Amino acid sequence: MNIQTPKDLNGHASPTALHGTNEAMTSEKATDVAMQDTLLTPRFYTTDFNELDAINVENVRHDWDTLIGQMEADPNKGHFKKNADWDTVDWDGMEPALRAEFIDFLISSCTAEFSGCVLYKEMKRRGSNPDITQLFQLMARDEARHAGFINDALREAGIAVNLGFLTQQKKYTYFRPKFIYYATYLSEKIGYARYITIFRHLEKHPEHRFHPIFKWFEEWCNDEFSHGEAFALLMKTDPKLTESRQNRLWIKFFLTAVYGTMWVRDHQRPVFHEALGVDVTWYGMEVFRKTSEISKQIYPFTLDIDHPRFRKGLDKLQDANVQIAAGKRQRGVAGKIKQFIGTARAAAAFAVLYSIPVVHHERPASTMMEPAY
Amino acid sequence: MGLFTRSKETAPCTVSISHRFEELSAHVRFDNGAVIHPGDSVLVQGAEIMAPFGEIVEESRTAVITRASGLERAWTRLTGDLEFIELCEFSFSEEVTV
Repeated sequence: MNIQTPKDLNGHASPTALHGTNEAMTSEKATDVAMQDTLLTPRFYTTDFNELDAINVENVRHDWDTLIGQMEADPNKGHFKKNADWDTVDWDGMEPALRAEFIDFLISSCTAEFSGCVLYKEMKRRGSNPDITQLFQLMARDEARHAGFINDALREAGIAVNLGFLTQQKKYTYFRPKFIYYATYLSEKIGYARYITIFRHLEKHPEHRFHPIFKWFEEWCNDEFSHGEAFALLMKTDPKLTESRQNRLWIKFFLTAVYGTMWVRDHQRPVFHEALGVDVTWYGMEVFRKTSEISKQIYPFTLDIDHPRFRKGLDKLQDANVQIAAGKRQRGVAGKIKQFIGTARAAAAFAVLYSIPVVHHERPASTMMEPAY
Repeated sequence: MGLFTRSKETAPCTVSISHRFEELSAHVRFDNGAVIHPGDSVLVQGAEIMAPFGEIVEESRTAVITRASGLERAWTRLTGDLEFIELCEFSFSEEVTV
């Protein structure tokens, strides 16, 4: 959605896109990549700010103040600095397929951080409830910091961000507040699970650490973890958010959509995972396991990831996605038909996943957790 | 706001960009307190803005706000939520290699 292929972008390069990086551009391949000059194309959201302002955190006040206190103390302030651990990266010597997938990984990470920053800042600015605006200000700070750090890694690879979107027509979409909680809670927690799984794996297999940025994943994902904690608390302020029948269906929908998307997306980066020495299927299941375990803090159920139909559904989703992509490449009427069939198959696969009964559990009295993986 | 008609208005705005190692961010703020509603579009006029690496840039510009029609607004309210996946680090790209 937010990342465009070099193919689509060729011919749209602007001088700013290559700002300060021309000397690093040697091969045609690298130039192609650098032409991703709509690099950052975040969505712009608006929401029901009155509803956000009406949130009352009194019933979670103790945990809330503890969490905000930790975030304000900003233990990671000094973390995002390049030090001696930042080894020189041999970008030119990197296998082109790995380089392409790794850069795609960095760009999508940077865009996600950036989109989060835009969303949080907007909420901070428009809101008037001091608890809420303070939280969003702190989270916007972290996201902007992460985006800056990834941006630097991209610059080393000869890729400069372009903020051309600022002066392009942008449409504001709408997010209901409760969907912001469901979606961002999950995206922060699954982000934590993803980064920590890679970090722990590379601790055991440092020979697979092909870029120093992975060394920073541990503290980085602790930020994601505490953002997730904040959203868990927000959801706890109103029990209906996780208990009403309709909202339970929404939670299941978000879990299924996020897990499914992650599965498909990671399978699009086989070379990247191979270089890390990570079996992508194992990795996916491991991330789901961790995320499910963590999400028990607030969601009343988890997806049954060990159900036989779960893997089958994911694989079908993956096949359908490959077909959609092939249709897009093919273009023309035949391509459109292929895309249409692929989309229908993806919807069917999603329905299969969604129909699997969930696993219920008792929720703890206090939601607060520490990163434990 | 009509059900089918859009309207346009202009608003002074401040664009701020931080393009530094410690922070990458960019925001547009409306100086007259204009409020954006679902489905509205915003176009900041003038040349592309970019801060050189290591710097913070703030510029005053004019933005044209295209107000969505009533129908568009309702549609955006109904469907906007589905774009949530954007916030995930593994958000979709169209680049499929498998």
